[in-house]
Amino acid sequence: MNCYEHTLIVKQDKLESQSKSVIGKYEDIIKKNSGKVLKTEEWGLRILSHNIKNNKRGFYFHIKFEGTGETVKELDKAENIDQSLIRFLTVRVKKHDLKKEYFEKKEF
Amino acid sequence: MKRKKSLRNNKKNLKDKKKLNLFQKSDMKFSKSCPLSGKDAPIIDYKNIRLLKKYLSESGRILPSRVTSVSLKKQKELARSIKRARLLALI
Repeated sequence: MNCYEHTLIVKQDKLESQSKSVIGKYEDIIKKNSGKVLKTEEWGLRILSHNIKNNKRGFYFHIKFEGTGETVKELDKAENIDQSLIRFLTVRVKKHDLKKEYFEKKEF
Repeated sequence: MKRKKSLRNNKKNLKDKKKLNLFQKSDMKFSKSCPLSGKDAPIIDYKNIRLLKKYLSESGRILPSRVTSVSLKKQKELARSIKRARLLALI
């Protein structure tokens, strides 16, 4: 089992409650593919530093999970098709730091 | 002690010479250790924007390590995490 950090940006035109269901969908995918979700963080609605595909703002979500390479593969496969996402990033880390949070949830 | 002396001599020599180019460091900055390595150094992470912004120019470009005196190992780590943060439009 490896440790991964996953961040995704959901488009702003979705309501916040809808964007939460998006994150639930990906948590399920992790759980189905022999993974284990340790923590999910919400960074809230943030202004993007530069426009991406005419998007100015986005909801940020951050998942810390354990899994195998297969888990990440399935996750990427599902996210590549998803139209409601702006971007996503998976990073492998050696050890999870569950205490420290760099972002506080902000409302605009 | 020997080392210190030699450094001092270096500084003296530098003062005698004229600056060759704009980016040449001033004498004060000459022997500066890496701010990111050592015991209580901050952890480089793509989420830690406040730290990463210190190592960017005003226009958002990565500053060279000869200006910031970051060690080679840490500079590589820094560049990687800055690029990750750029992808997520954090910086």
